[in-house]
Amino acid sequence: MNCMVCGRKTESKFCDLHMGAYKSLLKSYEAWKRAMRVSWAEYLARVQNNEFAGLWVKEVVRYLLTSGSLEEPDCEIEL
Amino acid sequence: VVTPKNVLLLCEKPSVAQHIASALDENGKPQRRLISRVPYYVAQRDSRRLVIVPALGHLYTVAPKIADRNVYPVFEFEWVPRYEAERNAGETRAWIEVISKLSQEAEEFVLATDYDIEGATLGYTILKYACGGKDQNAKRMKFSTLTTNELRKSYAEIISRIEFPTIEAGVCRHFLDALYGINLSRAMTVAAKKWSGRYATLSTGRVQGPTLKFLVDREKRINSFVPTPFWSIKASVEIDGSVFEVEYEKDMTDTRDEAEAVVNDCIGKKGKIADVEVKKLQQKPPVPFDFSGLQAEAYGLFRYTPRRTGDIAQRLYLEALISYPRTSSQKLPPAINSRAILESLSHKPRYTKLAEHLLSQEKLVPNEGKKQDQAHPAIYPTGNLPEKSLGGPERRLWDLIVGRFMATFGKPALKQGVKVSIEMNGHLFFLRGRQVLREGWMVFYKPYLRTDEVLLPRLEKGQEIGFKDIAVKDRFTKPPARYNPVSLLKKMENEGIGTKATRAGIIETLYSRGYVSGERASVSELGFDVTNVLERYCPEVISVSFTRELEENMEEIQSGNEKMDNVIDKAISRLKPVLSDLKNNQDMVGQDLSEALRKARMHQRIVGDCPECGIGKLVILYSRRTGKRFLGCTGFFKGLCKASFPLPQKGAVTSAQRTCPTCGYPMIQLRMKGKRPWIFCFRLDCPSKEKNKQ
Repeated sequence: MNCMVCGRKTESKFCDLHMGAYKSLLKSYEAWKRAMRVSWAEYLARVQNNEFAGLWVKEVVRYLLTSGSLEEPDCEIEL
Repeated sequence: VVTPKNVLLLCEKPSVAQHIASALDENGKPQRRLISRVPYYVAQRDSRRLVIVPALGHLYTVAPKIADRNVYPVFEFEWVPRYEAERNAGETRAWIEVISKLSQEAEEFVLATDYDIEGATLGYTILKYACGGKDQNAKRMKFSTLTTNELRKSYAEIISRIEFPTIEAGVCRHFLDALYGINLSRAMTVAAKKWSGRYATLSTGRVQGPTLKFLVDREKRINSFVPTPFWSIKASVEIDGSVFEVEYEKDMTDTRDEAEAVVNDCIGKKGKIADVEVKKLQQKPPVPFDFSGLQAEAYGLFRYTPRRTGDIAQRLYLEALISYPRTSSQKLPPAINSRAILESLSHKPRYTKLAEHLLSQEKLVPNEGKKQDQAHPAIYPTGNLPEKSLGGPERRLWDLIVGRFMATFGKPALKQGVKVSIEMNGHLFFLRGRQVLREGWMVFYKPYLRTDEVLLPRLEKGQEIGFKDIAVKDRFTKPPARYNPVSLLKKMENEGIGTKATRAGIIETLYSRGYVSGERASVSELGFDVTNVLERYCPEVISVSFTRELEENMEEIQSGNEKMDNVIDKAISRLKPVLSDLKNNQDMVGQDLSEALRKARMHQRIVGDCPECGIGKLVILYSRRTGKRFLGCTGFFKGLCKASFPLPQKGAVTSAQRTCPTCGYPMIQLRMKGKRPWIFCFRLDCPSKEKNKQ
């Protein structure tokens, strides 16, 4: 299959590069939740507009927002 | 009548030959002669006729015995004249022929190239191949500056043999670079060409691969970075009408509530000074410049890339204004005679007072650094003053080198730091002051110092302080910084890959291949994909440890503890399975690289976001009917947007990476041969063009 973001060949939903960004997104959500009590959707929107967020993170966020994946993910999920 | 005996002195460049000839000729007036537009000089010394002939950098290069670029692996290499192996090296033919002719009339040979690994290797290949095996009985001049005194001394104290262990290490480096560079680059280029049918140069190398990997790893961290929020307290106090920033005892808080609680506790209240701590510290002078130190300072002060600094320093060396710049040493031995250099510099009004200040000291002892170089001392001004006025960059760099040289002999500076602790309703704030009490060495290095003094009024314990401002500041963690040319150079140096002479060139190659762009090096998709392919099919090639191991082996050869043949055999035995894997996976490698190249070409054609639909991208397209190029929106292929704009049909068009200040459309850059690049808005009805018409 192809990466949902960039179209690179991959065996999961995202390629290695975007998977790394997605994992980073999941990992940082805990800190955001603790600090700002934001929902997953709110978190994504804020990261999208943050000047320090990485390019691949923003691409993953854009995909999640446009594909309607706004449910808080289970971090243990295997992709 | 006794026929004078010819001594052939071989140097690296024509300007060096002129310096050496002028220094060694008894009357200081050597004859300049030409054969086939190749200059050489004839000088007289001690009843001997000296023929001083320059090279043109390397005249020989290592080339594979199988020249066909589609064949790999190749493990047999040989030294060949550069004109046989490289395009645009045609002029080296005349130089080799002239040196060869002059060598037949000489009975003694002296190597007077730069005293380093490249200078020795370059001279050795010419002595061996152009002069008919004269490497074995050639003598050697060793010098670190092109001043008359040092050149005469070097000739008087000539070394009886050329430095064979250094040459063996240099030859080994050339063979290893060719072995890796040619085989891996051919493997990648051939794979991509076989898959796509299109030729594109793809390259990697023994040092290039690991260097690109550093950049890729950093780029991955930046692109996958998610900032996390934190809060800090921003506060200032007013003392005697002056405002000073103060720091809260904790740099950051994890929640906004915590930070707001601190602000609420302090707002509108007065604090009391709990403690005033004064510390004095001596700051030693800076150490003399080695090559990388000079490159780092010139980048920090003037934004010169390491390559540019290297080129400027080389020009200053050839003008005999500074010592040999490609040195690792941070030491200034007494033999350079610092007192004489300062006396000479004092004749320039700009340095008169400073030099006299140092000369009044009984002893001149530099503050040396730890790094050493057996071949050359640290970089220092020779004491020669420019005969003609220097260009801006040369003048700046020379002044920096003079300033640093003088500063190293200065006395330590004395600085004072003050830390005032202010207690405020159970919270602590710190007010910091910094002051230079005695300038010491700083006097000599003033234009290049970045001092940030904060002078505080007299403050005492128990004194009340009013806060002018206190607020919570929303902040986010930042991603790691991208490498700049100097930090990348430092990283290569710390990891022990490449040499001081080759690192800047390797970084430039990464740019010219399109793997990296921008002053803050950002990796292109092509750079990612090339690294990805190498990581998947031959990880050893981009491994720092393997490259470092080879560098260590070459150092052992130079110190006489290892043999070149062993190192090359080891490298071949490790490269063979890698190339075999690449060959077995040629289709997949070709497919991955072709796709990466296709995307890179596509990316080059994108000019910017389509301003008409806001969804697609504007790309350079070619009309099937007329073959003419124009700008069209990618949305056209999905039936979403019909935006299109005409383009000039001549010259190379690329994105200018900026938008029109009048209409906000992306701008393009047009490059035509012999003309300066032209950046303009492609929109024909852009209001800026109306203004021009009026």
